[in-house]
Order: sequence, then structure tokens, then C-alpha cells
Amino acid sequence: MQGFRQPSVLPGFGLTLGFATFFLSGIVLLPLAALVLKAASMSWADFVAVVTSPRALSSYRLSFGASLAAALVNTVFGFIVAWTLVRYDFPGRKILDAMIDLPFALPTAVSGIALTAVFAENGWIGQYLEPYGIKVAYTWLGVTVALTLIGLPFVVRSVQPSLLEVQRDLEDAAETLGATPFYIFRRIILPTVVPALASGFTLAFARAVGEYGSVIFISGNLPMKTEITPLLIVIKLEEFDYNGAAALGFVMLAMSFVMLFSINLVQAWGRRRLVGARA
Amino acid sequence: MSITLDQVTKQYQGNPVVNDVSLAVAEGEFFVLLGPSGSGKSTLLRAIAGLTEVDHGRITLFGRDVTQVSAREREVGFVFQNYALFRHMTVGENIEFALRVRREKAAERVRRRKELLELIGLAGMDDRLPSQLSGGQQQRVAVARALAHKPKVLLLDEPFGALDAKIREELRRTIRSVQRELGITTILVTHDQEEAFALGDRLGVMNLGRLLEAGRPTELYSRPATRFVATFLGAANLILRREARVPVDSGPPGGRHAVAMAARREQEVVAMLRPEEAELAPDRDSLMTSFLGYGHVEELQFTGALERLRVRMSAEGSAQDGASATTPPVWIDVTRTQPEQRAFPLSPGRLVAIGTRRIHVLPTPLSSFTVCAETREGADRLLGNHWLGELAARMQTRLTAQVEPGTGDHGEPPAPPAGVAVVAAGEGCPARVRRLLERGVTPVLVLPEDTEPPARVVVHFAGQVARRATLAMTASLLRHVPAEAVFLGILPSGSPERTRTAGVRQLLDVRSEAQAGHGLDVRTELRLGDRIEELLRELGSQPGQMLILGLPEPGLLPENFEALLTRSPGWPVLLA
Repeated sequence: MQGFRQPSVLPGFGLTLGFATFFLSGIVLLPLAALVLKAASMSWADFVAVVTSPRALSSYRLSFGASLAAALVNTVFGFIVAWTLVRYDFPGRKILDAMIDLPFALPTAVSGIALTAVFAENGWIGQYLEPYGIKVAYTWLGVTVALTLIGLPFVVRSVQPSLLEVQRDLEDAAETLGATPFYIFRRIILPTVVPALASGFTLAFARAVGEYGSVIFISGNLPMKTEITPLLIVIKLEEFDYNGAAALGFVMLAMSFVMLFSINLVQAWGRRRLVGARA
Repeated sequence: MSITLDQVTKQYQGNPVVNDVSLAVAEGEFFVLLGPSGSGKSTLLRAIAGLTEVDHGRITLFGRDVTQVSAREREVGFVFQNYALFRHMTVGENIEFALRVRREKAAERVRRRKELLELIGLAGMDDRLPSQLSGGQQQRVAVARALAHKPKVLLLDEPFGALDAKIREELRRTIRSVQRELGITTILVTHDQEEAFALGDRLGVMNLGRLLEAGRPTELYSRPATRFVATFLGAANLILRREARVPVDSGPPGGRHAVAMAARREQEVVAMLRPEEAELAPDRDSLMTSFLGYGHVEELQFTGALERLRVRMSAEGSAQDGASATTPPVWIDVTRTQPEQRAFPLSPGRLVAIGTRRIHVLPTPLSSFTVCAETREGADRLLGNHWLGELAARMQTRLTAQVEPGTGDHGEPPAPPAGVAVVAAGEGCPARVRRLLERGVTPVLVLPEDTEPPARVVVHFAGQVARRATLAMTASLLRHVPAEAVFLGILPSGSPERTRTAGVRQLLDVRSEAQAGHGLDVRTELRLGDRIEELLRELGSQPGQMLILGLPEPGLLPENFEALLTRSPGWPVLLA
């Protein structure tokens, strides 16, 4: 026990551990346990029927597919945004930096409505895409756009610190050794940033899977086409089918947990390779 | 020559960080660039590697002009102070990096990797990660990595900076032996003079962006040309002495002041006495060497092999020349070996005679500063001039005042000040300057009130020829001023082509003389127009400029140049 005690500004190891456990239990574990229990109260056959219904399957596809697409887009663009903010100094950089956080603060319903207005067939952007046959609002594309918007800050904020940390010396060293800028990017900068990029991706993905507010406005909610799983859960609730809702919730919980856990494993492996190297 | 730098200049926010550096490093030579932090040595090294662009000048590697070539194509090896190893790669991958970039075959890469690991004494460490190595080992890997692509030039930027003393010494030996074995031209940057002596075939000492001197370690140690090199390479006492000397340059034959001055003038010189070259004895007669003066032992430190003493010179020893009582005290640092200590044991407070085994007179013509004013207040204002104070501190020299009331036709004037006379700019300035010059005082520095440290120094010769003395003073001053300098030639407008060509040639001659004689590189510019108007325009064009005006002959200020001294707001002018 003695070994765990570290001097700290906060009083008492026992007290803080107790507090942490209490908080986690009360706010995270208990509700989740309730969800699992509720789902467990169904018979196996009922459960399977609910979670494998064609409508549910298509909603998984959209929820996880669009989230994955949005997180990937964010990983690329978030990296570019972070790079611009870290490496260059230009007028308005601070303002741009502050704007990155706006999707955090905005009520998601507001961003959903705004996106719908802009991407609708007669909206600012939608009217130019329409002639090419590209429809954004009320399609899976719209869902992806909404999920991209809310996920962007996660990637930018995760990558920024690690980009700051890439020493200019490393790039200089690679350059004197004959590496081209692209080679330096691929072999020196990217490997250093990948852990942060992965955690940004994870956060953006997790957030997108759970997103509800902004999507329901832009998706149009057509059953089997643009219906996300969280919406399906809400529909079940409105039909007083609490068990069905719990079952779908349980599936989402399980899938999210498996994905996040495996990403964490990959990250931990990557970190081990770099551990202690920051001397 | 394998590395040639020609007037390389790098500015940062308008200040020259590297200021007109010219240097040639021979093939296979180990050259050490030495200087305090902020002297521009690292910037210069990065410029050679192509990691920093230069604003002016040319860099040549093995006869190939690489000034515009990127670092990637310069074929140099660079070692950084913080190793800069790729942490996500193994030692082997790090070393192979340059070969992989060049798409060498795997077998060749492995062969080269083994060879290099063998060379730096880390054979078998291929699969370690940099984080698993000690600092010294990491730096060895960095050296091996820099050598993998067989560069023609190896550049090391403070490679031992982050290591402790013992490992430092070991790594120093490794680098020296690797360099000898490969015969690769090497430049190493350091601020540690011991390291520089231990490694360098030749040293270059930098300060304030300028390369002050370059030469063999022993040469620079025993016969430095500048104050900075004298005091930066080991400990040194800089002593001001008066010496009757025939002036280096007495102007054109028959010049009206030359003869009178040579007879009257005793020159003040700056001499360097190394602590180990001083001898202490109970009295003057028991000294084995030439007598310098008497002094009291003020401090005494035992440091093992050597004893360090600080001796305060007594006034009667140094003030035979009637210098005023305001002369600041002079301390002499002395080191003595064990046998010397046994022969003459000392304790603080003891009066001793100081002798000099070997004293080296620095060829600098600017010895000390004497502020000349008619009132005490005027003198104090000049003494309080920030830039003058800074300059004197940089030159580690004396700054004193001499008050001379009235225009002084009554009675014998006091002895003319030694060294540089400093007068305030403005109203009565030209007359005062003329009076000083007539009494054989050169140079004279004219300072306007609130002088800003100049960022640009314009050098102009009022006469037909550039006198050697002027050049020497220019060189001496520029070594202590972090400013860009330009030789400005002015020809009457409408000069025929032939005159103009001759003018350009003359300027270039001056430049090469400054370079050959003083190791000072200065740019040249030629203008057409009226001399005074052109100078006024040049100096008025931007603030923070200074003028060095070469007098046509010693002691003579031509009439029309007075306008340059009375302008307000003015600029510092050195009449030399």
C-alpha cells in the first residue's frame, strides 16, 4: 500500500480513489449496467430478432460506416489544419485556432439545421452540387458531413501538441542526409505524429458513433436508408419498446467498446516503441 | 581548398548574425569555429550545410558553388548538439537512412552499417533503439549516420554540448581518430576553448557575427591580433602601456604635420600578458625578467597544480607618465607553478615586484578612450553615453575624462590624451576636433548625444589614398561593433569612364588590403556626385549609421568636411 502513496496536492490517496470510483460507478458504470440488465431481460430469440432486423442492420451500417468515413476525413484534414496552425504564422492564426473549438460549443441541433440549410438542394452549396447529381442533404453523404463537422476539433486538438514536438533538427538531419520533403514527411514526421493522429481518430470516431442531434436534421431519417442507430433507439423508445431500445443500445456499446479497445491496443504498442525517447 | 566562404552574411531582423565572413578550409583539415553563444558560429555552420539561406556572399564546396543548392544536394554530413536521431528507428536504420534515401542495395547498406558501427566502436548495437543508448553512444550513432553517404565535408555543431566531462573527452578522441582515418574535411563549432585546442588543426574565433582571426592554436594563443581572441583563448591581462614608437604611417612625405608629430608622440599600446608569463619577486632587483611594476597581492587561490593570484598594481608603478589620479586601478592575474610557490611563498597583502617573461603587443591602434570636454558636466554626459560605455566594455579598455576649460591659448595645454579622444558633436565640435588633431591626437571619435548603437558603418577616405593607419583603426573598431560595414567611394558626377574604373579598382584594392592585413572583409560601393552631399544623404537615409572618415594626412581635417560633424540629429564619426 505504501508504494502507491505519492505525495500530491490533493488530499489522501484513499479519498481520491474512493471519489474516482464513486463517480465512475454512479455516472458511467451504473447506467451502462442498467442497460445491459435491461437487454438481458429479453429472451435470446427476441434479442437476436431485434438486433438483426434488416432495419437495425442497415442502421449499423450507416452509423458505423459514416462515422468511420467522417473520422478518416477528419484525420486527413485535421492533420492539415493542425499543421497549418503549428508551422505557419499568418494574420488571423489565433482566430482560426479559436474557431476550431466552435463545434464543441455549438448545440448539435443548431449545426445540423445550419448544415441542412446550406446543403439542401436550394442551399448555398447544395445548389451548385445539384446539377452534378450530387445530393448531400437527406443522404448518407449528409450524415457524413455532419459527423465530420463535430469530429474535427478532436483530431486537431490531439495532433497539435505532437506536431509542436517534432523537432526541426530531425527534419534538418534528414535533409542533410539527402531526403526529399515527401520522404521526410513519410518517414520522419508521420511516424512521430501517428500515435496522436490515432487517438484523434478514435475520439472523432467515438463521438460520431454517438452523435444524434446534428444528424437527424440532415439525414431525413428514411427507414433503411438514412436512419442511424441512435435514431432507431429513440424511435423504439417512442414506441415504448424499452427492451428493443436496450438491445440496440447494448449492441452499440459492445461494438464501440471493441473498436476503441483495439485502437488503444495499437496505440499502446506504438507508444512502447517511442517510450523514453523524449530525453 | 575544400570549403571556401566569400563574404557570407546572414541577417536576422535587420541585424547581421553572420557578418561578411570569408574563410578557406583546406582539404582534410579539422577546422574549429570557436566563439561565445550568439557569436553566429552555429548559423555559419548551418549556412555551409544549406540549412540556412544566406543573404549575401558565396559558399563553395570543392570548387562547386553551392550557395543556391539545397542541403539535400550538398553532400555534407551534419551532427547536431541534441543528436537528432530518428527515435522510431533502430540504430541500424538510423545509420542506413542516407543509403536508403539513395536506394542503395540491401547488401551494400548492411556492409556500410557494419563498417561504420565498427568505426565508432558500437559494433553489434544495430537493433537497439536510440532510447536504449547513453548520450555518448547516441552521439556516436549520429556521427556514423552523418558519415554513411560518404560526404566530403563533416560539420559538427557543438556535438559534446549535452554530455558530461568524461564522456566528452572519450568522444572527442573518437571523433578525432575517425576524422584522421577518413581524412574528411571537418568543421566543428564549439564555445569551449579547451576542446578547440584539443581538436583543431586550425581555429577560427568568432564574435558578434565576425570571424576575428583564424590560425593555428599555438599561434592564436601566443600572438593574437585582437583583444577578444587574447582574452577568449585562455586568460590574459590586457595592459595599456606607453611606448615611443615611430608611427606606422606618417602620411605622404612632406606632410606638414608628420614630422612634428613623430617627434612628439609617444604611443599608447595594448599589451597582452598571460598569467603564466608573469613573474613575482620580493623586489625589482631579484626579478629575472623585465620589470612591469609593483603591486599588492589581493587574492590568492590554491587550485592544485597551479596557484592563482590577483595583484593590484600600485599607482607609482604605472603612473610615471603623469596620468591623472582618476586612472582606474589595474589588476594583474598571475598563475604560479608549485616550484615557483615554494621558491617565494606569498600571502595576501604582500608587496611584490611583477616581471614579464613574455609580453605580446597587440597590433590594435585603438587603445583606450579619453573623453575631452570643456566642462565637468560635458565630460560626464559623454561618459554616460550608453554606446561608448558598451564599446569600452567590449574592448575591455579604460574610459577616462579630461576637462580642458576655455579655448586654451593661455599657458601650456595639458598633455594630449592617449588613445582615442572622444568629443561631443554639435556647435563647437569642428574647432575642438581640429585642435586635438593638431596636437597629434588620432583617432578622434565625435559622438552626438543619445547615440544609438550603429547597425551600419560607412567608411570613406577623404584623401586620394586609403592610409594604412585608417584601415587598421577601421578594422579594430569594426571588430567590436556588430554592424555591417561598407567602403564608400565617391567620384565627381560626370567622371569619365576611365576615372570610374580606376575608382572601382582603388576600392577593391582597399578591400583586399583590409582582408590581407586585418582579416576584415568589407563590401564596397561607388557613388557619383559631390562628396559631402553624397555622404550626408547616405548617413541621413536611415538611422543607426556611423561614419569612419579617413583623413587625407595625419592631423588634417579638410574644411568642407565640417558639415558632417555638426548635423543634428547626428551620427558618430571616427576621424582616423
